[in-house]
Amino acid sequence: MTSLFEHFKAMARLRAFDEACLDGFHKGEIHGELHTGIGQEAIAAGMIPSLEAGDALVSTHRNHMHGLAKGVDAHALMAEIFHRETGLCRGRGGHMHPFDLGQNFSATGIVGASLPVALGYAYAFWMEGRANVGIGITGDGGANAGAFHECLNIAGAWKLPFVVVVENNAYAISVPIRHVLATPTIAERAAAYGAPGWRVDGTDPEAVAEAFARAMEHARAGRGPAIVEATCQRFQGHYEGDHDSYRSRDEKRRMKAEHDPLAITRRKLVAAGDATDLDAILAAAKAEMAGILERVRGEPRPDAADALRYRFAS
Amino acid sequence: MATANIRNLNCSQVIAEAIGLEMERDPRILVLGEDVGRIGGVFGATRGLQERFGDKRVRDMPISEMAFTGMGVGLALAGYRPIIEIMFADFVGVCLEQVYNAMAKIPYMSGGTVRMPMVVKTAGGCIGSAAQHSQCLWGLFAHLPGMKVVVPGNPYDYKGLMASALTSDDPVVYIEHQSQMGKKATTFRAGAVVPAERYTVPIGQAAVVRSGRDLTIVTLSACVEHALEAAETLAGEGIDAEVIDLRGLVPLDMATVCASLARTSRLLVVDEDYVSFGLSGEIVARAVEELGPTALRQVARHANPDVPVPAAAALEQAVLPGPASIAAAARRMAARS
Repeated sequence: MTSLFEHFKAMARLRAFDEACLDGFHKGEIHGELHTGIGQEAIAAGMIPSLEAGDALVSTHRNHMHGLAKGVDAHALMAEIFHRETGLCRGRGGHMHPFDLGQNFSATGIVGASLPVALGYAYAFWMEGRANVGIGITGDGGANAGAFHECLNIAGAWKLPFVVVVENNAYAISVPIRHVLATPTIAERAAAYGAPGWRVDGTDPEAVAEAFARAMEHARAGRGPAIVEATCQRFQGHYEGDHDSYRSRDEKRRMKAEHDPLAITRRKLVAAGDATDLDAILAAAKAEMAGILERVRGEPRPDAADALRYRFAS
Repeated sequence: MATANIRNLNCSQVIAEAIGLEMERDPRILVLGEDVGRIGGVFGATRGLQERFGDKRVRDMPISEMAFTGMGVGLALAGYRPIIEIMFADFVGVCLEQVYNAMAKIPYMSGGTVRMPMVVKTAGGCIGSAAQHSQCLWGLFAHLPGMKVVVPGNPYDYKGLMASALTSDDPVVYIEHQSQMGKKATTFRAGAVVPAERYTVPIGQAAVVRSGRDLTIVTLSACVEHALEAAETLAGEGIDAEVIDLRGLVPLDMATVCASLARTSRLLVVDEDYVSFGLSGEIVARAVEELGPTALRQVARHANPDVPVPAAAALEQAVLPGPASIAAAARRMAARS
């Protein structure tokens, strides 16, 4: 079992990665927008122990941490976010559209559209009799898209190895999710698809890891789909530049004080008497990502003369 | 010739034959769609395939186009060559997201690192089913970048273009004409002979299906047969029409069109799709760009005048090109010249 300390280390890297992106964004180095997962690290970190190379993960507009969890190279991902020719997609995709075939990782900028693609992988694994899983990530907002129902129904009908992870950060941009859900939770919808569903505290990496492991075991064993709903808080606005006027100053203060997965985990480690220098862990993660950013800064941007390349294979 | 006459397949059988040959050749090909398995498609274009290849490779899907079109994207990412059947072209409205934002864009968005060998097979065109089951929509697919758009209009091309679609590493939208699915090969004026063995027709190459001196009729799909019938009538009146079957929209073979126009200098585009912001305007614009603004003596378009296809037969006939209306359009041009 992965120790809490290992989870902390993983979360430190995930946060440092998005903080490096934020640093570049605020210096005007990223053309366009940026969605960070700061505050949601425990979910991606909790998935790491159960992900195998052969599994496929399809993520959302807020995908960096999931990519890193799936084994995507941090430099190639950051170079893509900064639109470099050295990026995963040679700077054509940008931060919402990373594709890494080698790691079976991809994402979409269209909310709710990740699940059908993940289901395609699940169908392939099922056909081949492979013990791999197609994992689709969505937010609470995306869980209200019709594809959520379509995909889970299909997976339930044929017992496809399909796991849906819902990162419930309580807001679909500005709309509180509780205002637009028919049921108290999203996980309870699982019953409609003959599937198990778990709702866990998504700021607790151990809770996420346990629920995700159960979901993955269920899917790998050929018993069909499962839902893991992980509640969390998104520290930044929906995107960088979001005025975030839909959350009060007090709400935002409490969010960071009470729901920061790194701070919570750190308190637990200290309370358990872990003598490791946790600041050194954070500093190492920060140094690693700052180093990657420095490297990316020196790399070439795509040549305008190549704007029409890669439209067709032939 | 004798072989084809003995076989005398209809177009849906020709398509099923093409898919069967490709599935035998390439185990990565599979078919997902509504009613494609047990009954072999509502138009019969996948008949017999589930029995031959099993219900995993030929799968009856629930009415969940968004899910199974996206599954096609996932399957292509996983190394397969899926055919996703959207029963009627009109239905693409419920899953266009996966078609134009995922399938069509991923090759470019990935900087060429990901191929998307996926075929969206659908039936368009009018068969008397009114506004929600009669649209062509090839202009819509062609407007959205990233997909090849293939529109066969005769039995030979239905087979050869399906083979090409299933060997392409690019996403292909393959649009059948509903009215041709049950039509026997021998009743076609062009492409009536269908070899039993495998062959391909290259994507992006138009065909001159009738040579003529006086004007160039550029069209595709079922309107090719209509135009050929019209040309026979016109020939008796001293108008010698050349007919070009585009066989698709992306890539668009303007070389064949412009070579013809260089001789006739009169262009009539016939399109069953909507007239505005679509194929007919594109042909005219590219012809002018490529030949120069003074190269053409006459230009006309004959297409659906931007109305939903009506239910009543008389109204339907009034808005869709047919042999008589195409001949009339050509006569109007001749009268003005």
